[in-house]
Amino acid sequence: MLNQGFMMSHVLFGVLGILCAVALFMDVLNAGEKNYQRIKMLSLAVAVLIVISFLIGGYWYVTYYGAERDIIKAGAWPWAHNFFMEVKEHIFFAMLLLGIYLPIAVYKNTPLTNKKNKNLVLAICAMIILLGLFMEGAGGIISKGVTIGLRG
Amino acid sequence: MKKTNIKKNKNIQTAVIKNKTNMDKYLLGFGLSLVVTNLLNAVILVVKEVSSPVMNVMKAALGHHWTTHGVFLLFVFVILGVVFSINEVGEKWDSLKMMYYIIGSVIISVVIITVFFLPYLIA
Repeated sequence: MLNQGFMMSHVLFGVLGILCAVALFMDVLNAGEKNYQRIKMLSLAVAVLIVISFLIGGYWYVTYYGAERDIIKAGAWPWAHNFFMEVKEHIFFAMLLLGIYLPIAVYKNTPLTNKKNKNLVLAICAMIILLGLFMEGAGGIISKGVTIGLRG
Repeated sequence: MKKTNIKKNKNIQTAVIKNKTNMDKYLLGFGLSLVVTNLLNAVILVVKEVSSPVMNVMKAALGHHWTTHGVFLLFVFVILGVVFSINEVGEKWDSLKMMYYIIGSVIISVVIITVFFLPYLIA
């Protein structure tokens, strides 16, 4: 049960991080004095949510994943671990670092009404969203790999 | 007259300093650190997967190779970020150039990681 709880929280915080990155992307597109406070808050929220998702996911991976990995590798979808989990666990570092850099890019990159400054923040948000969506998809495939492995 | 000249010189000096680097030192320092760390991520992955002694050392260090990998990357990111922020990087930088470097580093890193594990998917 604890195993499932950790896994669901990891996904939940990851999805919230992606949603905040989407909201931030839209806010930065329309950046101005009125929404600058919200932009700053959202950038911090993205960083915090991704870090929490990383810590929970990392703990789950190190503590619980071993048994599920063996099930996946013995099943019909061994590539769910051999490709998707391996790629996911390493690309997550890029997403984590982008998430940590995002508030720096927002707080120290003023004014955001400047096109170059705006584009830097937009690019970071876009990469977080794309990598995040890949994480979600890969996570789904890995879970399916376990289900298929259990069927034998 | 003299006062006007001094003011003009000050303005020129300020413009020169601003042109030297258009970015905040932390934005530049941690941006460069992000670029280096992203590439380092892919390099560490390839090295540890290819070399068993490296993999064993990483497993022994913090109990799991992935934990060691992550902690090391975060450590390098912070240290390089501080070092690059403190030391002036002499080139002209702006947000656009930083954006291209960051996008480039992420793409290269993702491609290396994906291509490295691709044979397992095809098999």
